Amino acid sequence: MATAARPPSLRLGQQDLKCRTGCGFYGTPQNDGLCSMCFREKFNDKQRKLRQKAGETAGLAPGHAPGFTDRRSPQHGHHGQGRGEQQPRKQEAAETSGTLQKKKFTTVLQKTLQAGAQKITQQRSHVPDPTEGQFLLQLRQLRIPDDGKRKLKLEIQRLDSEIRKYINGNSAKNVDELSDAVQNAYTKVSDIVHNDPSFEIATNEDRDSAIDFFEKVVMTQNHKFLFSPYFTEDEDSDVKVQKRIRQLSWITAKHLDCSIDEVNAEARDLVYNAISELVGIDSYYSPQEKLQCTVRCCRHIFELLKRATGGPASADDFLPALIFVVLKANPVRLHSNINFVTRFTNASRVMSGEGGYYFTNLCSAIAFIENLNGESLGISSEEFGALMSGQQPYSTPWESALLACESLHLISENMKRMEGLQKRNALISSGIASFEKELIEFQREVTERVDTVIAKAPLNLLPIKTPAFLIGQARAHLLSDNEAGHYQANVLSGGGGSLTTQSLTAATSLAKPSVAPEDSGLSLKDTSIGSMGRLSPLQQNLQPADHLFASPMFNYAAFDAVSLLEDPVTTEGNDGDVMMLGSEFQGGLTNINYDFDLSDQSGENSTADESKLNLDEFDPLVQKSSPIAQKPPALPETPTLLDSTTDSLIDSEVPGTAVLLPSPLKPEVANYRGFSNFDIPSISCNTGDFSSLGHEGVEEPK
Amino acid sequence: MSARRSRSGPTLNFKAVLLGEGCVGKTSLVLRYMEDKFNAQHLSTLQASFVTRKVTLEDGRRAQLNIWDTAGQERFHALGPIYYRGSDGALLVYDITDQDSFQKVKSWVRELRQMRGTEIGLVIVGNKTDLEEQRAVEYSEALQYARTVGAQYVETSAKENEGVTELFELLTRLMLEQRSQREPDASPLRLQNANNGDADAVSVSDESETTTPGGQGDTVGQRSCCGI
Repeated sequence: MATAARPPSLRLGQQDLKCRTGCGFYGTPQNDGLCSMCFREKFNDKQRKLRQKAGETAGLAPGHAPGFTDRRSPQHGHHGQGRGEQQPRKQEAAETSGTLQKKKFTTVLQKTLQAGAQKITQQRSHVPDPTEGQFLLQLRQLRIPDDGKRKLKLEIQRLDSEIRKYINGNSAKNVDELSDAVQNAYTKVSDIVHNDPSFEIATNEDRDSAIDFFEKVVMTQNHKFLFSPYFTEDEDSDVKVQKRIRQLSWITAKHLDCSIDEVNAEARDLVYNAISELVGIDSYYSPQEKLQCTVRCCRHIFELLKRATGGPASADDFLPALIFVVLKANPVRLHSNINFVTRFTNASRVMSGEGGYYFTNLCSAIAFIENLNGESLGISSEEFGALMSGQQPYSTPWESALLACESLHLISENMKRMEGLQKRNALISSGIASFEKELIEFQREVTERVDTVIAKAPLNLLPIKTPAFLIGQARAHLLSDNEAGHYQANVLSGGGGSLTTQSLTAATSLAKPSVAPEDSGLSLKDTSIGSMGRLSPLQQNLQPADHLFASPMFNYAAFDAVSLLEDPVTTEGNDGDVMMLGSEFQGGLTNINYDFDLSDQSGENSTADESKLNLDEFDPLVQKSSPIAQKPPALPETPTLLDSTTDSLIDSEVPGTAVLLPSPLKPEVANYRGFSNFDIPSISCNTGDFSSLGHEGVEEPK
Repeated sequence: MSARRSRSGPTLNFKAVLLGEGCVGKTSLVLRYMEDKFNAQHLSTLQASFVTRKVTLEDGRRAQLNIWDTAGQERFHALGPIYYRGSDGALLVYDITDQDSFQKVKSWVRELRQMRGTEIGLVIVGNKTDLEEQRAVEYSEALQYARTVGAQYVETSAKENEGVTELFELLTRLMLEQRSQREPDASPLRLQNANNGDADAVSVSDESETTTPGGQGDTVGQRSCCGI
């Protein structure tokens, strides 16, 4: 098999991996060299034809390939020529995992087959390496001279090998011998640490920590050999004491005459803490840690007793409480743990210090439990026997309290949670209410403001002023059309209603007919009035939808045309102004939709003439007329901006006005491009200018 | 004990157990002793069953005293060996108003001498001298008994704080002597001197003679006694 990682040495071809049917998917040996799909088909239908059919799907292959490769069996692939890079690699990975599984299986098998002494050699290989590295780090961190560290390390290794040698030796083993050996090593290390010149400069604390370190390292490393060694009875005692404690489950705090209130929730919590610490002893490796765990457990008990008795607890209270906790905890491997600590911890540790004291108490608690009889519980031996054998039913406050309190606890906890939820709920609903109020207030405020703004700056629709000469011109242009009069009429009616007609240029009207014939009339009308058309924003809202849709095209055309027209008229300097005006206008009247289609109304009026009008619109003549018509609209504006004496200006047709004239169309062009699909503020510039003018208070009399 | 001996720092470490029936005032003695030294505020975080204290004797010798309280109830009597295993001294407390508690002390002494021989320094303490009018155990009786078993005898009142500090100093001295006696380089004279110095306490000069027959044979018991 190709196991090398380098592609060159691999001789796996894509073709070899593919499904035999040639469907392009990858096949697996289990599936008879077929891909899973082909395989399934083959098996389901037992028809060869279907495989052929699958071949037709070859085109799909590349995308599917990886998924199928993964499923390849590692055992054997077809190894031929060609070099597939990815696939072989994947296959290799699968192979390794496969062999690993195989290995695992064999190790399990071996483990089950092997027993006794071989078990130890097996365990040896499991010595945790990471902890070793950790210890090396800790050794480096010890605040003792390097010489001392070296010596310490040497001693550790010496004891380590000694222990292993003893464990693996063939001689009859006695745990006491081992214990003595370890204790002697402790003594030796202690001697070294205290008397060796290399430790001279170390403080007492550092020396102690060095000794502690020594013990911890050796014990953690050799925990597997020293903890509950196979040549001791530790395991049996573990089982025995566990059974016994289980039998003694009927014991109550009252039996032990201890002051634990089994029903009190607070006390129960502390007992829980103590129990969990006690159970946790088993999870530590070194004797020190086990002792620390014991200390923590006992501290919880003292805390508990302090609350119960109201003062520092004495051993008279403490021991029964500890016994109670041990009984209720029923820790695993109790004896193994106790023996491990007694045998292999530094003897001074269990003989003095808080840890030693608590540990001793734990030992006595266990001894008490093991030697328990009716007398020691204050009950008759008959009763004791009956309870132990389970003949006499019992109910302990602890268990019932556990049950009752558990549910009560749950209830109270749930109540609390519910309370919290209720509060939050109230908060939310009040928040909603205030938010609602705010919204209403906001709405009111906005309306108010809009109203005031509108009141302040009413939209003044100036009457359309159609310079007589323009009308004349228009008439002249549209001479052939009878409609001219009609348009004018429209325009006039629009003006009378104070609603301005659209200010679009003639170009608009030109473009529009093609899209919406209805509008053509309007646009024509516009053209005729052309320049003076004023947008009435309010009317636009009334526009039917279809008109709105039609407008974009129409708009575009209009503006392009406009911009074309505009160039000669306006000077560059005015562009900015126009922009400004336009934007102002938009800001002020955002509510209003400006659409060119407003002119529809007039169109409606002139529905009868649609077709005719359209035709007219297309005439080049009209187009020509529009530019001419366009010019004037710009003109009347200038006067409004500067002075209200429009008439004279218009009449004079001073070219100079162009300078002052804001170029009305440019901004619009921009707008239109952006929002062509929408009913947007596509204000014709003229209107914009006018409204803004209106804001400024320049009002034209109708 | 080799390990402990090796731990020969500047201060020696001693372990003493408090034995006695319940309600004789073992805990009160400890509390009084610690309170005296550390003021009451420390007691809030202190449990009374295990205390450590550094003691400096008048002659400048220093020792670290570990006092282990034990449960006094009769049902826990059998657990005693676990506690006094490896201890250097024992305070055997009884209530002078309670004859039974004195009998109990006697049983403890017997047991201790049997198990520990002369290794362990014994101080018999008659507590509650503030209840002098209810006294049930005469001073002379107790003194006599202590003498016969080679123990020191002290009467205290934890309530009135009488003789408490003296009690623990006596214990420390006793244990120091015991230790130095076992150490090869220690001079046996020390014990004599110390005993002579205890003018008001009972002289225990005959200690070694009285205890030797009872206790010497049982060194093996140190390990096996506890049952684990």
